[in-house]
Amino acid sequence: MRSQFRDTIMDLATTDSSIALLFGDVSVYLFREFQELYPDRFYNVGICENTIISMAAGMASQGLTPFAHTIAPFITERCLEQIKLDLAYNKFPANIVTCGASFDYAWDGATHHCLTDLAILRLLPGMEVVQPGSRAELDILLRESYNSGNPTYYRLSDRPHEVETDVAFGKGCVVRDSGAKTTVVTAGPILGNVVEACKNLSVNILYFPTIKPFDYELLDKYKDTEIIVVHDAYGLHEAVNVMPGLNTRYHGLKDAFCACYGTLEDIRETLDLGVESMRAVIAKTVNN
Amino acid sequence: MSIYTDIRKDILNIAFDSGHGHIPTCFSIVELIQTVYETMKNDPTNPEWDERDIFILSKGHAALVHYVVLARRGYFEMEPVCGFGGCESTFGCHGDRNKTPGVEVSTGSLGHGIGVAVGIAMAFKIQKSDRKVYVIVGDGESNEGSVWEALMVAADQNLTNLTVIYDNNNSHARGLQITNPGEKLSAFGMNVIEIDGHDTAAIKNALLADTDKPKAILANTIKGKGISEMSDNHYPWHRRSPSKEELDRFMEELDA
Repeated sequence: MRSQFRDTIMDLATTDSSIALLFGDVSVYLFREFQELYPDRFYNVGICENTIISMAAGMASQGLTPFAHTIAPFITERCLEQIKLDLAYNKFPANIVTCGASFDYAWDGATHHCLTDLAILRLLPGMEVVQPGSRAELDILLRESYNSGNPTYYRLSDRPHEVETDVAFGKGCVVRDSGAKTTVVTAGPILGNVVEACKNLSVNILYFPTIKPFDYELLDKYKDTEIIVVHDAYGLHEAVNVMPGLNTRYHGLKDAFCACYGTLEDIRETLDLGVESMRAVIAKTVNN
Repeated sequence: MSIYTDIRKDILNIAFDSGHGHIPTCFSIVELIQTVYETMKNDPTNPEWDERDIFILSKGHAALVHYVVLARRGYFEMEPVCGFGGCESTFGCHGDRNKTPGVEVSTGSLGHGIGVAVGIAMAFKIQKSDRKVYVIVGDGESNEGSVWEALMVAADQNLTNLTVIYDNNNSHARGLQITNPGEKLSAFGMNVIEIDGHDTAAIKNALLADTDKPKAILANTIKGKGISEMSDNHYPWHRRSPSKEELDRFMEELDA
């Protein structure tokens, strides 16, 4: 998805001279062409996440459209106060684009896992929180909201799903409506596993690439079904549960650090988010 | 009577009326902030003038002196500032850019304003604008690592349109002490001009000096300057406002 980020930015930059990039020494090589074409508007700041966010705020205050980009945990969890005050409270509309979602850096361990970014950023007034799950989704969602006038967070993954979706900013998608009494609600790259796991199961599947603003209109249509939120992060099930009177349960992270290494698949298996283990959990709910 | 004394009197009166203080931190930068506004490009009748220079009070708890200076320049009437800190007031104990004309960035949590100032200076560089950015940073605030991150970036990008005014008012004495701030600022890539931060001629000269690196004015100041009780021991006065007796006594001292 990072190469799609580059492709979309390169295209937007041909007509939008306000775009400026502040990078935390990540994905720099990918953006070499941007740097060559627009040397004044690309700056690899280095390992200075707090300052990257503050600078993005300052640049946005003067009419530029900055994109702050580096690895997710370091520029969200470390910089929560900079995002809260310098961007959200000041109403300076910069974009934050991260890589290294959830367990993308599985082998690097818990320091590099990012599980709370969507959850904490959706709590900030005025903040838009977007989790595109595929290259195509990123392209659409970025174009629709990068200059929305609000600070916007895009969480990219190096392991996108390959499901065809019909996304729009602020909208959820019906991936499957079987008229079933159980609805699986999900977001992000784990959609690939969800679709596989739900084959031949009597469930509806809803997909929400925009965590905030959340599409409650769509959710409302399924409010009388039993809802299972399947997500390898926090934030989605909290957003779902804003709607009163739902019958929901969450299948995803435990209240524990994931201290193992390995691959993304290894970690998904330990969390019962692999295809077979997920299927067993969902099937049990459907059959109860 | 100098304008600096008048500003201090306004602050005392508003603090007395409202019950909200932060007086010593305001008093250390009276000459600095007033002189910055006399020097930089600004238009009180048009706070959003697109050629204006930008001033940011990174040590946001000194908001009251900023309001008084802005009011005296004509950004707004002095009278509503007297509701300082009240529920309906547009003048909070920390500045809010969405409420007060002339306040460019909301500050309060320390170590933020300087990073935003660096971003603005960089935006002006990208836009090939000759606008300038001024930011007052406190020495206590400079316990925050984000201050030094921002300075490194300013130096790396050689943001000569940025002036960092380091209010060396001994706020940090109780906690982690920033020893030799001039050496530190210099080591972080700034062109340092050290002055008496209450000497308005020195302030003006430092503001106007051309430098080939981002500029840091190391301003040695006195917390509570002008009121001996506050400057001898500013800690009890950190946040409090004066009683009527204290107000009268302080006014007399300022007049003396």
